[in-house]
Amino acid sequence: MKIIVPIKQILDPSGLSFRRDKERMFINREEYIIDPGSRAAVEAALRLKGDEDQVIALSVGKPQAEDALREALAMGCDAAYLLSDRAFAAADVSVTARILAAAVERLGGADLVVTGRESGDTGAGQIGPRLAEALGYTQVTDVYALAAGDRGIQATRRWGKGYAAVEAPLPAIVTVAPEAFTPRYPHGARIMSAYREWDVTVWNAPDLELAEAALTPLLAQRGESFPPPLEVGEVFRGDPDSIARDVIAALRQQKAIA
Amino acid sequence: MDFSFPREYQLFRRMVRDFCQNEVKPRAKAIDREHTVPHDIVKKAAKLGLLGVPFPQKYGGVGAGETGYCILAEELGRVCSSTATVIGAHIGIAAMAIYLDGTEEQKQKYLTPLAQGTAIGAFGLTEAQAGSDAAAIKTTAVRDGDHYVINGAKVFITNGDIADIMTVMAVTDPALGAYGGITAFIVETDTPGFSIGTLENKMGIRGSSTAETVFEDVRVPKENVLGQFGAGFLTFMKTLDIGRASLGAACLGGAQAAMEASMQWAQAREQFGVPVATKQSVYFMIADMAVEIEALRSLIYRTAWLIDTGQPHILEAAACKLFGSETAHRCIDRAMQIHGALGYSRDYEIERGWRDQRITEIYEGTNEIQRIVVAASLFRPYGVRIPT
Amino acid sequence: MDFSFLDDWGEEEAGPRLAEGGEGYRNIWVVAEAADGALHAATLEAMGQARELADQIGVYVYGVLLGEGVEALGQKLIACGADLVLAADEPALAAYQPETYTQALACLVEQYRPEILLLAATPLGSDLAPRLAQRLNTGLISHCVKLELDMSERLLLGTFPVMGDEMFHTAACPEARPQMATLKPGYFRLPYEDTYRSGDVQRVEVDLGQAMGQLAWVDLNAGVDLADVPLSKAKIVVSAGRGLQDAEGFALAEQLARALGGVVAGSRGAYDEGWVGEDKIVGVGGEEIAPDLYVACGISGDVYHTFGLRSAKFVVAINPDENAPIMKIANIAVVGDAKSVIPALLEALAV
Repeated sequence: MKIIVPIKQILDPSGLSFRRDKERMFINREEYIIDPGSRAAVEAALRLKGDEDQVIALSVGKPQAEDALREALAMGCDAAYLLSDRAFAAADVSVTARILAAAVERLGGADLVVTGRESGDTGAGQIGPRLAEALGYTQVTDVYALAAGDRGIQATRRWGKGYAAVEAPLPAIVTVAPEAFTPRYPHGARIMSAYREWDVTVWNAPDLELAEAALTPLLAQRGESFPPPLEVGEVFRGDPDSIARDVIAALRQQKAIA
Repeated sequence: MDFSFPREYQLFRRMVRDFCQNEVKPRAKAIDREHTVPHDIVKKAAKLGLLGVPFPQKYGGVGAGETGYCILAEELGRVCSSTATVIGAHIGIAAMAIYLDGTEEQKQKYLTPLAQGTAIGAFGLTEAQAGSDAAAIKTTAVRDGDHYVINGAKVFITNGDIADIMTVMAVTDPALGAYGGITAFIVETDTPGFSIGTLENKMGIRGSSTAETVFEDVRVPKENVLGQFGAGFLTFMKTLDIGRASLGAACLGGAQAAMEASMQWAQAREQFGVPVATKQSVYFMIADMAVEIEALRSLIYRTAWLIDTGQPHILEAAACKLFGSETAHRCIDRAMQIHGALGYSRDYEIERGWRDQRITEIYEGTNEIQRIVVAASLFRPYGVRIPT
Repeated sequence: MDFSFLDDWGEEEAGPRLAEGGEGYRNIWVVAEAADGALHAATLEAMGQARELADQIGVYVYGVLLGEGVEALGQKLIACGADLVLAADEPALAAYQPETYTQALACLVEQYRPEILLLAATPLGSDLAPRLAQRLNTGLISHCVKLELDMSERLLLGTFPVMGDEMFHTAACPEARPQMATLKPGYFRLPYEDTYRSGDVQRVEVDLGQAMGQLAWVDLNAGVDLADVPLSKAKIVVSAGRGLQDAEGFALAEQLARALGGVVAGSRGAYDEGWVGEDKIVGVGGEEIAPDLYVACGISGDVYHTFGLRSAKFVVAINPDENAPIMKIANIAVVGDAKSVIPALLEALAV
């Protein structure tokens, strides 16, 4: 089985702080990490990998995304490709999907493509299905359990108010829930080898035969905003039965509970 | 000049930190209280190659050198001194001696399982009458056919009761004294005649075992002479010299943890209507911690670089251990003061950190010995001999 | 008289600034979702929002139903704000399949050309919408919590959370059509159901072409064996203190934790009483937690406890003493005996 795992590198959220009162995001420490969803996807792919299988990591990003790919190699991937070009700088999620589709096609297609359900920063959650449509593969999103059999994959995905078990033939695209696949720690020796012995292949726009039209984003950003600062000390007094309803309503309104 | 860590070390640190924070830190309190070696953690660490960090991959290690090893020691030191001690003794002195002075066969046979963590190592030098005065050891190794027969007892041996392989210093010629009369041996602890004596009841690092190891006619094949026959003193000096840098790194981790805990608490604790962090007596203490930690950090990783690039490092490594242990002392002491009565409570980590720290000024060459090493190194070019 | 100017009149200009939605795209669509013979609440929320937007620019709202035996649900969509419902009601669409639903909607979009197409960001909607957007080569703004219109450009502005819900971005799809968005369930008002509202429910044929469903739905009520969430990673923590008085009171805290989908923990007092183990203490010397919601039941909250909450996002405190320290730092302070308040909360939650 040939498994391709698109991954994303994001700013480490633990180095950021958000001041709602100042309506600003502060970068206290600028470090980059593999997106947790991507890491879960690498883990899910590696769990399926047998001796005859191949897991290939891809990432659309700036040159520093190479670190995320080397981490994927250290975790156990067999090969890694960085898709990087100045022309990709303005990419929105639809452009990223097109770049990934071109790369998958250049790699000769895949049996299975595994991505995170959504990324920890922009969180659009669109790459998986967009890629599936572009490649003509079937798709199973928001997966919590994944197994591969002779006829394809068995997945348990979130559905309705609970979960559903589905089977799908290959080729297929699966997006995984980040919390469902605890990623392994990469072995120390593999970390060293990932930088000292193994290569990350870099492809740019001409390598992928992507014309300018394909790289034009469909969405435009129109603004940034912050949720209002949480109020402290909203007091509810009175008879438990009546205030209970008000408390639950307040919690729902402030999005503290569903 | 580029003072940043090469990228593989940055990734390595992230992996090690995640491992320590997720797997080790939650267990630290119980490890100390139950006075047990965390075998499960050691096994998990071994699976990631962490028991062979500095050694080349061809011997089952990670190939990350002293720099990588100091990173491991630092991150472990941040969360659990007991685990740091168990793994530190295993890598830093037991396996290291074989790496530095072993033959190719010995490395294949003994270093590889140690690096892979399928065997645990201990380093046997100290005896009841021979601590700082290491040359005063009395354990003997007498040639008998193709073997050496070892008799004696070593005390205060970290991992003594859990080790599969031990590097042991024994007297092979009493007449020659320290230089020429001591030889290093590799001993498999399941050899008949090897037994464990007293287990120490320590104030701190209670999750590491410190044991008396007894040798009664323990027969060791002549192939297990480690390094040059009669040059055991040099073997253990070399090993201890390098071991000091990583010890300093563990102290760095402990000092860092003390400072971070102090900063968190000082912001939360309010007295006289304000967080105590805004009181000069407190923030001056925290500032002092930060300055010392910065200095120690630069010292540690520059020393690791000297070691990794094959440059002289004896003074610097001794400085790592000396300055590291004393910095850790000052930092945990300040942390206890900042935490007030909370720092004295056995339910919070500060008092454990305080108990765990004190040994760092004593073991692996007391700080007095470190000062002798530094002075000797300084005066050597002048031909002045510094006596012990 | 030279009437040649009439030749240019009525030519549609390419570009974003149009009287209509662009190249003849018009009206707002909501793709409806049904389960067990009833419309999903999130669909109705989307319908209500679509109605508000449509009224701003003076266009129609279409409801789109895909499935088998779904035509009957059309009336409710009308009652909630749709002017017209297109029902593609056939056996091939009985179960959700990405390929067939995408093809069916693409077919309808090509025929009717909506300028805005909305779906609820349910598991189905989040699976379908991006695939459809890719098919239509259009932009999709996903899980919006707010929708507005830029009237000068007749553009849909979708606002959605980013960076782990710490801030919002707003985006638009300036040129491609239809402008697509998915709406995060629970963030939009349920519309008033006006049964006197009139509208048409039309059965439509869709050409599924070569599209074939590939998925075999083996079990619609599967279970997932998720490992117990450790306290340090729990998003919702309900914590018990001495104010709960006894084991019975503690059991109420456990119930509340279950009802909220969270984990139960305790103060130092709860540990001393034997209600929680050492690994469930919150406070100094306890687990380091960073939940989105922390509910303190019967805890007075001195600094040794509240130190453990410093990374919690939203704190609710239940305590009979309004002046207890924890009531000053809580976002919501409920004055009362936790033993009476928790059962009332459980009832209110069940509604």
